[in-house]
Parts: sequence; structure tokens; C-alpha cells
Amino acid sequence: MAKQKNYGMVIDTRVCVGCSACVYACKSENSVPEGYCRDWVVQETNGTYPKLSMENRSERCQHCEKAPCVTYCPTGASHYAEDGTVQVNRSRCTGCKACLAACPYDARFVHPEGYVDKCSLCKHRLDQGLETACVSVCPTKSLNLVDFNEPDQEALALMNGKEVYRQKEHAGTRPSLYWISARNKPGV
Amino acid sequence: MTETATEIISTKINPNVIPHLHIWEWHIPLYLFLGGIAGGLLVITSIMIILKRKFGIGPKDEGDGCPCLAVRIGSILSPVLLGLGMLFLFLDLAHPLYVWAFYTTIQPTSPMSAGSWILIAFFPLAVLQAMLVNKKFLRERNIGIVNKLIDWTENHLTLVALINSQIGVGIGIYTGILLSFFYARPLWSSSILGMLFLVSGISSAAALMMLFAPNEEKPVYSKIDANALWIELVVVGLFVLGGITGPANNSGAMMHLIAGDYQMAGMSYMLWFWGIFVALGLVIPLVLEFLEGAGVHIRFPLIAPVLVLVGGLVLRFLIVFAGQTYHTFM
Ligand code: SF4
Ligand code: SF4
Repeated sequence: MAKQKNYGMVIDTRVCVGCSACVYACKSENSVPEGYCRDWVVQETNGTYPKLSMENRSERCQHCEKAPCVTYCPTGASHYAEDGTVQVNRSRCTGCKACLAACPYDARFVHPEGYVDKCSLCKHRLDQGLETACVSVCPTKSLNLVDFNEPDQEALALMNGKEVYRQKEHAGTRPSLYWISARNKPGV
Repeated sequence: MTETATEIISTKINPNVIPHLHIWEWHIPLYLFLGGIAGGLLVITSIMIILKRKFGIGPKDEGDGCPCLAVRIGSILSPVLLGLGMLFLFLDLAHPLYVWAFYTTIQPTSPMSAGSWILIAFFPLAVLQAMLVNKKFLRERNIGIVNKLIDWTENHLTLVALINSQIGVGIGIYTGILLSFFYARPLWSSSILGMLFLVSGISSAAALMMLFAPNEEKPVYSKIDANALWIELVVVGLFVLGGITGPANNSGAMMHLIAGDYQMAGMSYMLWFWGIFVALGLVIPLVLEFLEGAGVHIRFPLIAPVLVLVGGLVLRFLIVFAGQTYHTFM
């Protein structure tokens, strides 16, 4: 059965300034406990001096289409939702941590209350037709929520002709996050 | 030549994954060790029962259909040690009150789900075997329901032992397979890890039986142990080779284990692996047992089995910890 929706993100690293607004928006939207995070910002510098290039990117659970965290969860707590996201059902999670060991992106953590937590792509907001907290707050429009079953023209235009990658694609996880590389910036 | 640099700065603050994933502490290696011994004990005692019943081979029976002392104690220890191991597994759960969730579903793709069902399947038959081999002593107690159970099943001990020998292999191998499915952790992602844990479990079980077997039964278990150690040495070799000849993920993780200076209890992985596990836990007991078998009497006969048990425990700790301190799939 085809899923009704297939949510993911297109993240434009060319415009990300690394302000971490997404991280703080997520923290308050989802009451993420202190010392933990569901999303985070990575700054990666590459190259040979003096020709260096830098990429900022906001990272989170990749909502994999073939998610090892779901495959290995012994209780079905980690599961695929109808909208193409990967969710954790708190009332079935034993905290066995198999999913933490399985995730190649280290996206999960054990919530102090005993269940496993991670980015839910703000499912509670998606269900109301809203964008995720991180997307809605991003000042440079680096973060774009996309339904890959029906991608809007804007998102397609954004990726068109650019160098786009997914992280650790060779892990076979089919991640739903697409990154527009900073190498597309003029002068790099 | 100028160096090409990559520098990564991250704001990620998940204490379980930064700087390294560290989710499973001492409970899990201990569970894997006890589970391995429980599986090994079940394999050895079941085979001893079958050999005696079918072929008349092995130490003398106690009479009244009760096998020799080592088999009787081993049969009892198997479910006891597994139960203890499962207790540690339970203690490791971040939400132990939800342990029921394992048993209201079957997740065919999850090795942990399969394992939790195997463990449940194990208990009734292992306990039944422990009861049947000790029936002489149970009958003396004269407990109605126990007597009935023994009456029903005592003619089928060989069949019970046959099934148990298979379940024992399942449990022993499962402890390694559990880890080997996590391809995001390259040290564990080896298909021979299950085999390694199985032979290690069998050798540890034989060593344990050597400790409590009466003198005239000891040589049997010493021989089983020597053979298991020999096979284990080969399997360890294959495990290491498979790692270092593999792609960057796996070879890096293997080097982290066999040449790494990352510490466990103040000593580097490299010393733990070669010094404690391979030399003290495998090679020396193998030589000692070989000498013993060749008739050279060693003054402290308990040294070899104790070293084997220490080696088996260290192996589980090393694999679980080194697998988590090496960075994830690249
Ligand atoms: S990124 Fe990790 S936690 Fe998220 S769906 Fe993929 S495997 Fe699961
Ligand atoms: S910790 Fe929870 S979500 Fe993760 S594998 Fe275990 S039961 Fe499933």
C-alpha cells in the first residue's frame, strides 16, 4: 500500500549560517530535556589551505525509508508512520537501546524518563497541517519540509542542477533528508 | 606536501552517542557471558546424556537412571545461569516496567525479539531435563505434581536431551548473532561472531564442569574443553582476519580492538585482547590441558578452567565495549 504522504527535508547548506535557531526551536517545541538534543548543527571545513571550504548543516533523524532502528526494535515501538516518518511509540518502548546501536546516524538518545527519543519531524504539527518547528523558525530558509509523494515546485527548483547528496547512502537506509552541498556556492 | 584537512564541529549533545556511542554497560557483556555458558552447559549435558543412553559412552551413571554428578549439576546450572543473565538484561532496560512489551509481539526482523522468545522456549525444557536427571532425589521429596511430571516424561529423556542440544546451540550462537546484525557498528558486523561466542560458551561451560566434576569425571570435560579451545583459537583467527582484510569500516574497527590503545579498566584494548584473552584465556589453558591429557600431571589442576572462564568473560566485555568506542559506520 502506498503511503499517503512521504515527508522528508531538503536542506540547503549554501544559506545555513549555523545560528542554531532550529535547535532551540526544537528544544522548546518538544520539551527536549536539558543536555539532550533531537537536532544539532554541524560545521564542516574541508580542503587544503588556503583553499578551504566550509559547510554548515542542521542535522536530525533522517526518517529512513529502510530504517535499521525499526528493523531491530524488538517490540515494534519504533515504527513507520503513515506519513513516511519514523516514530517511537513511548508506551511500548522498553529502553533496550537496540535502536541506538542500529542507527548509523547516532540520531537517538535515551530520554531520562526511560524511553528512547529522537526527531519526530514534529508529527503533531504535521498532523495539523503545520510545518516543523525548525523549518518554521529558520531565518535563511535553509530548511525545507517536502512531501516527496507530491513535491512542490519550489523544492524541485531548489535541487535542480545542484550537487545534492544524502548521508551514508551506502548504509542502505534510504534516508529522507537531502542536502544541497555548499560546493554549489559561487567561488568554491 | 600540504595536508588535506577535514574539521568537524558539532553542537550535538546526546550523552549516549557523544563522543562515542556508549549505551550498553557491564550488564550486557555479563548477560552474554552467562547466556553463553548456559547454552554451552545445555549442549554438553544433553550430548553426554545421549551418548550414554544410545552408545554407553561416558562416565558411570549414578543408578536409577541418573547420569553422573557433573551432568546432573550442569543440567541444573544451565537454567539458573541463564535466569541470572536475563536478570542483568532486565536491569539494563531503561524502562524495565515495560518488559512485557517483548512478549506481546513477534518482530521477525529483530534479533532481540527472536532472542527473547528463544529464552522463553528454553526454560521449560531445560528445567524438565534438570528434573529428569535428578529424579532419584526429587522422588525422595515426594512432591505430587513433580512426581507426575517425571512419570509422564521419564521415558523420553533422550528426546528431551536431543531437542535441548539444539536449543543450547541456538542460545550460544544467538549471543553473538545479536551483536553481528548491527551493521552500524563495524566491529560487531561479522558473521563469524555467533560462531565465536558459541565455541567460547561451550569451552567456558566445559571449564565450569571441570571445576565441580569429581576427579574421575574431570578428564572428560578437560578433553571437551581442549577441543573447544582449539576450535575457538581458529575462529578468533578468522574473526581477526575477516576484520583486517575487510573494507575501511571493518579493518579500522578490528585494528581498534587488536592494536588500540583505548582503555578498559586502565589497560589498553590491545593488551586485553592479546595478553588476557588470547594468551591467558586460550593458549595457556590449551597447553595445560594438552599436557594433562598427555599424562603430565600439573600441580594446580584448577588453573586451566579458571583461566578459560576469565578469558570468556573478558572476550564479551572487550567486544561489547570496543564495538561501542569505535566510531559508527562511515
Ligand atoms: S536516522 Fe537513525 S533513528 Fe532516524 S530513521 Fe534512520 S536509522 Fe532510524
Ligand atoms: S529502545 Fe525502545 S524503540 Fe529502541 S529498540 Fe528498544 S524497544 Fe524499540
